Amino acid sequence: MTKKRFILNASRSSKQGTLINVGKDSEEYLELTNTMTMSAGDMAEIGLAEGQTALVRTEFGEAPFKCQAGKVPEGMIFIPYGPPTCLLMGGDTDGTGMPTSKGWEVDVTPL
Amino acid sequence: MGGKVTCTLGEVKQRADFIVYWGGNPAECHPRHFTKYTIMQKSKFLPRGRKDRTMVLVDIRETKSAKAADIFLQVKPGKDFELITILRAMIKDQHVTDEQIAVTGLSREVLDDLVGRMKGAKFGCMFFGMGLSMTRGKHMNSAALLTLAAEMNAFTKFVAMPMRGHGNVTGADVIMRWQTGFPFGITFNRGYPRYNPGEFSTVDVLVRGDCDAAFIIGADPGATMPQPAIEHLKRIPTIVLDPHVTHTSRLSRVHITTAPQGIAAPGTAYRMDEIPLPLKPPLKSPYPTDEQVVRRINEAIAAKPFWMPEGSQPQMLTAQV
Repeated sequence: MTKKRFILNASRSSKQGTLINVGKDSEEYLELTNTMTMSAGDMAEIGLAEGQTALVRTEFGEAPFKCQAGKVPEGMIFIPYGPPTCLLMGGDTDGTGMPTSKGWEVDVTPL
Repeated sequence: MGGKVTCTLGEVKQRADFIVYWGGNPAECHPRHFTKYTIMQKSKFLPRGRKDRTMVLVDIRETKSAKAADIFLQVKPGKDFELITILRAMIKDQHVTDEQIAVTGLSREVLDDLVGRMKGAKFGCMFFGMGLSMTRGKHMNSAALLTLAAEMNAFTKFVAMPMRGHGNVTGADVIMRWQTGFPFGITFNRGYPRYNPGEFSTVDVLVRGDCDAAFIIGADPGATMPQPAIEHLKRIPTIVLDPHVTHTSRLSRVHITTAPQGIAAPGTAYRMDEIPLPLKPPLKSPYPTDEQVVRRINEAIAAKPFWMPEGSQPQMLTAQV
């Protein structure tokens, strides 16, 4: 059986924008940028419990994220931009100067 | 067709009766956009405010902004270019098959209704965010949307505007455009500006390891850029000017604390519609401003003997003060 792959989108939120000004070393910011949101159905399918950590792997890098269920479409993962998402980002900009930060195909492995 | 058919946010506030947000989540990322400019304001031409305006949200998921929208269109991830191209065809009554529409995750009825509303508007404005410009297709997606806005002017007034983020990113583009003719991705290594995104843009230069020093003013690439770019910043002498200690400060050789712009340092910030706004600082800071630090560095460099052999100096730009 082939392993299910997800589409990861790094995104922004008002909480993240506010916490940038509080400080990127603050506990809340670290908590927020190390948490990924996916649908409850997807979590059950790959055996992830609420609050469990999973390793997210792109072709460029990997990073662990705490998982939470949320209102997102099946097959998709959303993570607020931050230092952990930098680890997943490749350096190629397709000649545009802008690295791709949305629509990555990723593997998710429960830890 | 090229260029950007656009307007100021003042015109949007006064006249826009049809608003599209594409690949953006203003309820979270630009929380005052709705209330100050786009959908809540009453104006001379739209006296009933929200009731006189229609708002459409196009996104891959139902964000908080969907609650404020009259119509929410959930496009399949990575299919924005296809959807824009279909809309460009449909406004001109060109044939589009059901299979082509199905790729976008939407139906013909929904798109027919959207096209009807777009043509029926008196003044339409499409705002686009990183959901359009940072997914696969990138500048091609943005260019397609700008072209759709331009082509809509055959039927009614239509404009487009990017939803710029962070403090004064628009200012950086505007000033570079004014000074050099190009907005970003510029090299001066021959003594005159040359432009080539993908070659001279910051991420590419860092990832390839082309630069042997970095000077960063009021940005935190150490927390935002791809890891290969961050690794190169760690290898080379990086100098940071920032009011706070950031991730970039920690990987840099030198951090100079400066006064925060708009709070303790004066200057000009550009709004997302490229309107310059003067900043009047209410507080004083013990730290110098970015401008003062850069001027002192310039003076120190000017006092040094020129490093190239005589007769080999490239043509230098006259500094604008």
